[in-house]
Amino acid sequence: MAERPEDLNLPNAVIGRIIKEALPDGVNVSKEARRAISQAASVFVLYATSCANNFAMKAKRKTLNAGDVLAAMEEMEFERFLEPLREALEVYKKGQKGKKVSEQRRKDKEQKTDSENDKSREDEEEEEEHMEEEEPEAENEAEEEEN
Amino acid sequence: MAAAVAPPVNPTEHNLDRCGTEEESRGAEAEEERNPQQTGPAAAAGTHSRLSKLPLTRIKALMKTDPDVSLASQESVFIIAKATELFVEMIAKDALVYTQQGKRKTLQRKDLDNAIEAIDEFAFLEGTLD
Repeated sequence: MAERPEDLNLPNAVIGRIIKEALPDGVNVSKEARRAISQAASVFVLYATSCANNFAMKAKRKTLNAGDVLAAMEEMEFERFLEPLREALEVYKKGQKGKKVSEQRRKDKEQKTDSENDKSREDEEEEEEHMEEEEPEAENEAEEEEN
Repeated sequence: MAAAVAPPVNPTEHNLDRCGTEEESRGAEAEEERNPQQTGPAAAAGTHSRLSKLPLTRIKALMKTDPDVSLASQESVFIIAKATELFVEMIAKDALVYTQQGKRKTLQRKDLDNAIEAIDEFAFLEGTLD
């Protein structure tokens, strides 16, 4: 199912929460302002993705990585984001590692045969978000981890 | 930048609601699948999911709309989600300056427009919002 940019918005409630937490108590936000900020956030994602992808293409890589995104932030003049992003990335990576170990243990228990092939394939799926439509399993894996 | 930014998103209230429920039901399903099977990763997932307020699946879907993008690592999706969160915080705070200048308690659309016009980093937003 192809998604157009117009159909995809970031969840209103989450955007609202982020805004509320950023502002002092007693300040309200109009519905129009919140909607506009949500729209701006979507534009930001698209702009950052495009910029990051340029770095990946320059390095002749097909896969966008975290380094590309950080480089994009600098290019877009959001250097102030770099430090908090790097810190968040470290915590995220540690969390992912812990999950992989537990996933590994679970799989070892369940599968005695053919474990080698399955393990290596699923390691790859965890590393990369495949953009093609033909891999629903990978998407489900990703969704489990994301939530 | 070689690649053009995609056309502005035009959300309607109806679409927003639909997307919201869609996301929530997917999240609920994932939780049900996970819990009976393992307790370890669920705990790790609990702390891990706190890192990003914005749903990574939605971020990834947005990134996917760019025809030049083929693959993106999970880390890159996460970093963009996190950066978007920081961006929302930043633009809200910058718009608030104008709210306070107008001696108001409610942040309005015009405060946002003023911030976009005044601040260099937000120049990319000009002409993209409804």
